[in-house]
Amino acid sequence: MWKKAFEWLDERLGLKDIYTNLLDRPEPTGNWWNTLGSASMFLFVLQGLTGILLTVYYTPSPDHAYDSVQYIMEGVAFGWLIRGIHHWGATLMVIVVFIHLLRVFVTASFKFPRELTWLIGIGLFLATLGMGFTGYLLPWNQKAYWATTVGTQIAGSVPFIGEFILKVLRGGPELSALTLQRFFSAHIWMLPAVLAGLMSIHLFLIIKHGESHFPTKED
Amino acid sequence: MNDETKKKINERYERELNKGEHFWPDSIFKDLVVSLGIFILLIVLATFVGISPEAKADPSDTSYIPRPEWYFLFLFKFLALYGQIPLLGKIEWIATVAIPGIAIGVLTLLPFIDKSPNRYYGKRVLPISIMAIMVTGIVLLTLLSEVPTVSEDGSKLLGILQAIAGLAIPVITMILLFLMSFVFKHTTTRVMVWTTSLAAVSMILVSGTALALRPKPVVEEIEIAVTLVDQIFAGQDLYSIHCTECHGDDGSVAEIKGVEGLEGEKITPINSHDVLYTITDSAMYEVIAYGRPNAGMTPFGKAYGGELTKSEIDYIVVYMRYMWDDRFEIPAEALKPLFPPLADGEVPSYEVHIQPIVKRYCVSCHREGKTNNKYLMTSYEEILTTGDNVASNIIAGDENSSLLQVIQEHEIMNPEKPDEVLIGVMPPNRALKPNIVDVFIRWIMNGMPQTAIDAAALFVAPTPEATATP
Repeated sequence: MWKKAFEWLDERLGLKDIYTNLLDRPEPTGNWWNTLGSASMFLFVLQGLTGILLTVYYTPSPDHAYDSVQYIMEGVAFGWLIRGIHHWGATLMVIVVFIHLLRVFVTASFKFPRELTWLIGIGLFLATLGMGFTGYLLPWNQKAYWATTVGTQIAGSVPFIGEFILKVLRGGPELSALTLQRFFSAHIWMLPAVLAGLMSIHLFLIIKHGESHFPTKED
Repeated sequence: MNDETKKKINERYERELNKGEHFWPDSIFKDLVVSLGIFILLIVLATFVGISPEAKADPSDTSYIPRPEWYFLFLFKFLALYGQIPLLGKIEWIATVAIPGIAIGVLTLLPFIDKSPNRYYGKRVLPISIMAIMVTGIVLLTLLSEVPTVSEDGSKLLGILQAIAGLAIPVITMILLFLMSFVFKHTTTRVMVWTTSLAAVSMILVSGTALALRPKPVVEEIEIAVTLVDQIFAGQDLYSIHCTECHGDDGSVAEIKGVEGLEGEKITPINSHDVLYTITDSAMYEVIAYGRPNAGMTPFGKAYGGELTKSEIDYIVVYMRYMWDDRFEIPAEALKPLFPPLADGEVPSYEVHIQPIVKRYCVSCHREGKTNNKYLMTSYEEILTTGDNVASNIIAGDENSSLLQVIQEHEIMNPEKPDEVLIGVMPPNRALKPNIVDVFIRWIMNGMPQTAIDAAALFVAPTPEATATP
């Protein structure tokens, strides 16, 4: 019975091919430094799941954002845990992604044939920072408000187009309801879409070229 | 890169694969262990460290010191140090845009800048050394983010130390490393590694000195009411200080008494259905923040020159709703009595009894900046030693003390001009409840003990006969 079901699925999905090509593929001997990429991906998925749960109660408007976050912490069953994981997960994700970048740099894994994997990886790193920057504003508390004020100011100091960038980021000359709305949109739609897309290409390239080996005197 | 090198690289990789492992289960196992570890770490952080509560965003609060997210702190510090450089430091965009932009650009284009096929660490001393210096710098600048560049006494020592550790040493080291790689080509790997290590160690030492010399950071305690009960209590305290003066302790005042400039002003009782059922929370917020200047109510929000932050006004609104609006049910814990009831013969203390009562009913007027015959009541000392009529106000053991007279609805007349009222009845709006008056009488009759321990020493156990009579 199970065997039949498996064969039926295998005919349609190619499960055996997936096993041989994806799971059973040979790799150079690795060590714990090789787990940073998958750890980053795990954190991304975890941030996605907890983030989706948070949007059930969160309201992106200056009048209600703070109170809705307060309600998540106090009123919702295990809301404190979901937000706690999301909050600390963000911090950890920035650290893990950065160490992953350093590891690839030190072992020179970005060299032929993995140049494109590196480029996409930098995109992922910047998008992760973007997620942190946009997510920080959402609780609409003092720390968030003023951090975003200085953050956008720095972006506004670009010569010639600074004022334009500032306007695009803030949705006007000052931080307002529009800023919160577009940071929310960027945080839950645009940047996750960018991250998911880049991650797929990143993973495809890793499977295509295989994980790099740790260099020895030969290399 | 020519085809031959590429072929060599691919062959080399094939050899590694042949003596390697398999993705499943070798790598997956390690990945799962690390992911599980991260998950447990996050649950522990969320449970035992949590998220520190913050006050609601308040654009009018310009006294708040803005700080970016922790992973941008190093950039913030870098900007501050860069700003100290004479002349060049004035051109802000070099530090905010050009240098970070170049750094990210170089990082992105790394595979096209470093085109040699060499991967072994020993053959890549220059890039690894530069990265080591950069990462050390980033970590140190993050740690130094709290240290000011100019001390309070005007000394620039801290700023100079930080500039040495965060700017001078890294820049000089990088220039040296480039020179060693491209100009003095005979420099050995060992020399470059030593240079980098020495630079990193001296950066750490100088930063450590700056950290050790930094002034003790002033930890500002900000009370943030998180739970509903805490918010109601916070709102009650704020209401007592800012609103009781005109609206009375229970919001029932319809005609203001005893407030200079507003004497006899007719107002709508703010605890009435008319107000509570028709005014939304946000409208109530606006009334408190902006005031009703034409009707004599001054603005209370910081945005309009008042004293209250956004969160504080929110707490007052929450308090008014739960206390007076019959559509809201006040949590039982929020209804705890103002002070523990007194047993027969028990002597009240300032700490336990008088302070909460005074805070609720008196401080609204009896504080700095109000008309109150210079009688302030915000501390034990003030209650006993201030006021124009301090001599007769509180006399231990004397039931004719002015304070006791006025709270029992007896005005004090001016001894020189018998028809002039020297001190009116207190509070002007509404008499205190008998049990509160009783607390004041017992307190003054027994010599105004400050602490609960002093008061307990004065406790006189009632005689059995006295308690037996109902």
